[in-house]
Amino acid sequence: MIESIVRATLLGVQSGMILALIAAGLTLIFGMLDVINFAHGALYMLGAYFGSVIAAELGSFWLALLIAPLLVGVVGIAIEVFSLRPLYGRNPLYHILLTFGFAIMIQGAVVQIWGGQARQIAQPALLTGTLSLGVVDYPVYRLFVLAISTALIGGVWLAIDRSNLGIIMRASAHDTEMVDALGIDVSKVFTGVFVFGAVLAGLAGVLLGASRSVNPGMGMGIIIEAFVIVVIGGLGSFRGAVFAALLIGLVTSYGALIAPTLTDLALFGLMAIVLMVKPNGLFGATEAA
Amino acid sequence: MVRRLMSGGSTSDRDQRIERGDRDQSAMSRRGYLRTGAAVGTAAAIGGCLGGSGESGDALTVGYALPFTGTYAMLGESIVNGFEMYLEQNGGEIDGREVETVQRDTEANTNRGIDVTRELLIEEQADVIVGPVSSAVAIAIMDTIESEGSAIWLNANAGDYRVTQEGCLDYHFRTSFNDWQTSAPLAEWVYENVADNVCLAYADYAFGQNSKNFFGEAFEEAGGEIVAEVGAPLGTDDYSTYLSQIESSGADAVFSFFAGSDAVGYVSAFSDYGLDEEMTQTGSGFLLSEDTLPAQGEAALGMYSLLHYTPTQESERNRTFVENYRGAYDSTANVYACQGYDSAQAFAAAVEETGSAEPDELSGALSGMAIDSPRGSFRFNEQTHEAVQNMYVREVVESDGEQPVENQVVETIESVEGPTWDCDLS
Repeated sequence: MIESIVRATLLGVQSGMILALIAAGLTLIFGMLDVINFAHGALYMLGAYFGSVIAAELGSFWLALLIAPLLVGVVGIAIEVFSLRPLYGRNPLYHILLTFGFAIMIQGAVVQIWGGQARQIAQPALLTGTLSLGVVDYPVYRLFVLAISTALIGGVWLAIDRSNLGIIMRASAHDTEMVDALGIDVSKVFTGVFVFGAVLAGLAGVLLGASRSVNPGMGMGIIIEAFVIVVIGGLGSFRGAVFAALLIGLVTSYGALIAPTLTDLALFGLMAIVLMVKPNGLFGATEAA
Repeated sequence: MVRRLMSGGSTSDRDQRIERGDRDQSAMSRRGYLRTGAAVGTAAAIGGCLGGSGESGDALTVGYALPFTGTYAMLGESIVNGFEMYLEQNGGEIDGREVETVQRDTEANTNRGIDVTRELLIEEQADVIVGPVSSAVAIAIMDTIESEGSAIWLNANAGDYRVTQEGCLDYHFRTSFNDWQTSAPLAEWVYENVADNVCLAYADYAFGQNSKNFFGEAFEEAGGEIVAEVGAPLGTDDYSTYLSQIESSGADAVFSFFAGSDAVGYVSAFSDYGLDEEMTQTGSGFLLSEDTLPAQGEAALGMYSLLHYTPTQESERNRTFVENYRGAYDSTANVYACQGYDSAQAFAAAVEETGSAEPDELSGALSGMAIDSPRGSFRFNEQTHEAVQNMYVREVVESDGEQPVENQVVETIESVEGPTWDCDLS
């Protein structure tokens, strides 16, 4: 029993950190660009598919981890520059329709190119096997995912909190026109944020693709969880997204232990309660930090 | 605004989970629907020009009610490939009559399934319905097949036993398998060769529940003990929690039912956690089949599963089939292609024997008929119209072929007669 609880906790934190990578992009894009990016799950899926192709062709997980997210970033640039940019400032419904369209297109393209069967990314030989943590044996690869995603989230947190870029980002989220008037090219900041979100999602795709299956339904599955996280954490709040992701990760993994069929209910119940008590989410939606 | 959107998101999630029950993809279905709508219009127009068929002497019409979009698309395509390979080999004719084929996409969706079956029967005047893939669709179209009563139904994949138990239709013939066949016969083999206690792990939907129940009953009957049951929702992303329940059951072996991407995620995690060193993995054949093994790779080594067809099966008949299939489609044959091919063989044999396409006559001819299949010869049970066939226990071994691993038949359970579920058509 203790083993199960320890494992569920480890799993919860690990999937929480990965979800945070995805939700961070989603919430930052909303915070700065005012765009609800429905294609974010599709970008995550693309990361996994690019990763599985690169890992199979070049035979290296590490190259896949490096190159696949960058390719997803390139797709992100294309989406932002050619389709989102002309629509800034319009009714948010345009963005929703557009990004939802992209989600369907990307999913359709994936099925056309790679078929409906599940794929996998081979784990690097260095990280196979299990490690004894006293009470439980835990797969080394999953510990690696836990470590790298935590480090990335920590890095992003510091960057937003401390760096010049982070200050510009927060400022443009707060008042775009003023930042523009101060001589900073806001459109570049927008592109940067969107691409950064896409790269994080792609990275999450590669990391999870090696411990789960890579399939055409994975994007639609994860985007729902990511939205729940963003809403609970507070739209636009990075800090909120990280805390909410951890919360959702733990709820999901404990839920699977106690009542697997009720996990979804718990997820949405939690969201409903948070919205009733704090309509702006746990960390408010007024500023991004 | 935003909050309303979020609640919209939750609804579509629920829809998606439900559709996952059919192993479908929600996002595909709208587009697929439009596309099929257009195809229906065109095909109906063409059908009008060609006029009705079905009378003796005219062309024969084969109606494919199969998924061609979504997660199941590969299965639908393989079944069509198998069927058309047979037609190709026989000059596109059966009993001297030309054969026309009409494809309709069920999208593995029950409502679409009923619509396309009706279209195939009424507008296209199909003489035979080949399909579907999803069991939910099969159960949904039983009424249509029965009330129209105009065509024979060759069930080329949907394995739910309830089609026989609840339907027990005179026109229904299973050219594939049922869920009892892919689970229960393995129980005795596991008891004798692997372990006397098992944990049952299954995808928590109708087919998974049926499979684990059938295996469980047979295993206890053989004298074994079921120590635990672990059900995971269909489409589970991460199996860690379920695996720790399986591990803590302390069983020596596990019988699992998972398919498609679930099977990939489950088997990979099973090996990640090192469970393959503690217990023996056994399961229904879909756990370790040609569509999942390339992704599962070495994680699947040493696992056992039960199915009625394996492309690596050692027999002259199968080697020829696999070679021909590779020649025609440049890919390895799979169980679905074999089921499609056998559907064509069964239809052709019945038409040739009776010289007619009347469903009553075809049904009479097919009942008890033996088919020389690549899987080994099988016959249709007179009472249930189920395939009485050999079931093969396979082990995943290293391969020197293009894929790292493949199934190898380790034991043949001959001519498995299943329960009749109180269905008697004889």
